[in-house]
Amino acid sequence: MTIKDKILIVEDEKSISGFIKAILQTNGYDVITASSGGEAFSMISSHCPDLILLDLGLPDMDGMRIIEDVRRWTMLPIIVVSARNYERDKVEALDKGADDFITKPFSAAELLARVRVAIRHMRLGAAGDSVANSGRFTVGGMTVDYGRHQVLIDGENVHLTQNEFKIVALLGKCAGKVLTYDFIMKEIWGPQVRGNNQILRVNMANIRRKIEKNPAEPQYIFTEVGVGYRMAEGD
Amino acid sequence: MKYVLKKIKDFFRNSDGNYFPISWKGWLSFFVIMGVSSTVCSLLKNITTSDTHVPLIFVMAVLLIALTTDGYFYGLLASLASVVMVNYAFTFPYNKLDYSIYGYPLTFFTMFSVSLVVSTMVTRVKNQEKARIESEKEKIRANLLRAISHDLRTPLTSISGSIGAVLEGDDRLSENSVELLTGARDDAEWLHRMVENLLSVTRIGGDKGGALHTETEVLEEVLAEAAATFRKRSPEVEVTVSVPEEPLFVPMDAMLIEQVLFNLMDNAVTHGKTTTRISIAAKTLPGSVSVSVQDNGRGIDAGAFEHLFDGSLQLQPGKEADSTRGMGIGLSVCKAVIEAHGGTLAAANVPEGGARISFVLPLGEEGNSDDYQG
Repeated sequence: MTIKDKILIVEDEKSISGFIKAILQTNGYDVITASSGGEAFSMISSHCPDLILLDLGLPDMDGMRIIEDVRRWTMLPIIVVSARNYERDKVEALDKGADDFITKPFSAAELLARVRVAIRHMRLGAAGDSVANSGRFTVGGMTVDYGRHQVLIDGENVHLTQNEFKIVALLGKCAGKVLTYDFIMKEIWGPQVRGNNQILRVNMANIRRKIEKNPAEPQYIFTEVGVGYRMAEGD
Repeated sequence: MKYVLKKIKDFFRNSDGNYFPISWKGWLSFFVIMGVSSTVCSLLKNITTSDTHVPLIFVMAVLLIALTTDGYFYGLLASLASVVMVNYAFTFPYNKLDYSIYGYPLTFFTMFSVSLVVSTMVTRVKNQEKARIESEKEKIRANLLRAISHDLRTPLTSISGSIGAVLEGDDRLSENSVELLTGARDDAEWLHRMVENLLSVTRIGGDKGGALHTETEVLEEVLAEAAATFRKRSPEVEVTVSVPEEPLFVPMDAMLIEQVLFNLMDNAVTHGKTTTRISIAAKTLPGSVSVSVQDNGRGIDAGAFEHLFDGSLQLQPGKEADSTRGMGIGLSVCKAVIEAHGGTLAAANVPEGGARISFVLPLGEEGNSDDYQG
C-alpha cells in the first residue's frame, strides 16, 4: 500500500467539495472533507492532513479564524478557495498565513498545479533549500545570484538597483508563492512603511523592463492584480 | 436670458420630468378644496363680521392642494385663485374685485407670497421624498441582482467543475458522451461569465458612476493578467500585448477593466468567427490612455454598429439567436464600465480585415509621477 498525501477540503457546499474531491482522488490524493469550521478543527487535529483547501465563507465561523488558529501550531499549507471580487479577503488570508489562493471557477489542471506547488514547498521549505545550497535561484533564462547580488538574464547582468534586487531576491526565495504588496513593502522598506504601495509598483515596472522581454507578457514575475506578485516556479 | 429660462424650467420640472402635469385628479382636488374653503368662509361670514381668518383658511387650502397634487402647477394656480377669491367674495367690497383700497395691495401681496412659498416648498419636499424612495428602490434592485448573481455562481461552479472532473478523470467515456459533456461545460462556463458580467454591473452602482472604487494601477499589469486569463480559456487564440516604454499609472477599478478586456477578447473570438490572433495595444494620449483590442476575424457587420453597445443587438430579427448570444450584454457592460470611469469606447473595422474596439481612460490628476523613482 502506498502512502498518499492527505488533503482536507473545508467547504460548506457539498457539490463543490464533491467535484474537488473527485479531481484530487483521481490524481492520487487521499481526501477528507469538512463542511463547517468546527468540523474542520477536529479533522485537522485528528487527521493531520498534508494540505488544507479552505473556503472562507463557512456557516459557523469566519474562515480567517481557521487560518489564524492553524498557524499558531503548524506550518501545514493552506490554499484559500475564493470567488472573484474578493481581493481584500485574499490579501487578508495571505497576510494571516495562507500559502496561496485559487479563484473560482478553476480547472482541474489549475487546482492540481497549486496543490503540487504547496505540498512541495512544505517539503522543501519553499525554494529556500535549493537557494541555500547553490546560492542561486534559476527559472528559464533568469538567474538570481544571491552571493554577488546580481540578476542575470541569459547570462547577462541586468544591473538592478539595490531595492530592485532586494525585491527580485525576495520573490525568488518564495518562488511560486504570491507575496502581498504589504508583505514586500515591509520586507524591503521596513515595518514603519505605510499605506501607499506606489513606490513598489514603480520599482516593479522598472524591474519588468529590465528582465522581461515584453513587460506586458511577463515570463518571470506575474502580477495578481490587487493582491501582489508571484515569481514563476524555479527549475 | 437662456440660462435664466433653463433655471426656471429646471425648478418647475417634477420627478417625472414633466413641468406641469395636468390630470383630472389634480383638477378634482383643486376644485374640491377651493370649494370647501369658500363654503367655510361663506358660513363664517354669517357668524362674524371679522374677515381676518379668511386669508389663513385659503393659505391652508393652497397647502392642501399642493400636498394632494403632483407638480407645481396646482399650487401656483391655487395661490393665484385664492388671492382673487378672497378679494372678490370675502372682503369689502363684496362681489367685486378691488385691490386699490388702503392696505389691500400689501395684504394681498403678502397673502400671495405666503401661499406661493408654501405651495412650492410642499411640492419640493414631496419631489425630494419621491426621489429618495426611487433611489431606495434602485438600491434594493441592485442588492437583489447582486444576491441572485452571487447565489448563481456556486451551482454554476459546481456544474462546470463536476463535468470537468468527469471529462478529465474518466478515459472510458464514449466520443458521444465527451461531446455532450463538453457542450454542457461550455454552456455552464458561458452562464458563469454572464453572471460575472451582471455582478460587474452591480459593482458600478447604477448609472451614476459615483460608487466606482478606483485605485491607481499599472496598466501593463492589468493587461497582462487579462490576457493570461483569456489564454487559459482559449489557448488556440494567439494573444499579444504591447505597451509603451514608459509605465502607465491609471486610476481604475482593475477588476472591471479586466472584465472589459475579457469581454472584448471573448467577443472577438465568438463573433469574429475566423479570429486566430488578438492584439492588445496601449497608447499614451495627452491626459489619457487608449487601449485597443484588435482581431483578425471577419469584422463587424455594417448594420450592427448602431446598436453595438446598447444591449439590443440580440433583438434584431432575421438572425439565428445563437449567433448573437451574449453580444448585447458583454458589450453593453463594457460601455457601462468605461463610461463609469469617465472614458469612451469606439468600434471600427480595420482595412486588413477584422475589428478593432478601443477605449480611452482618463489619467486623473496625478498622472504619471516620476518622483517616486527609487
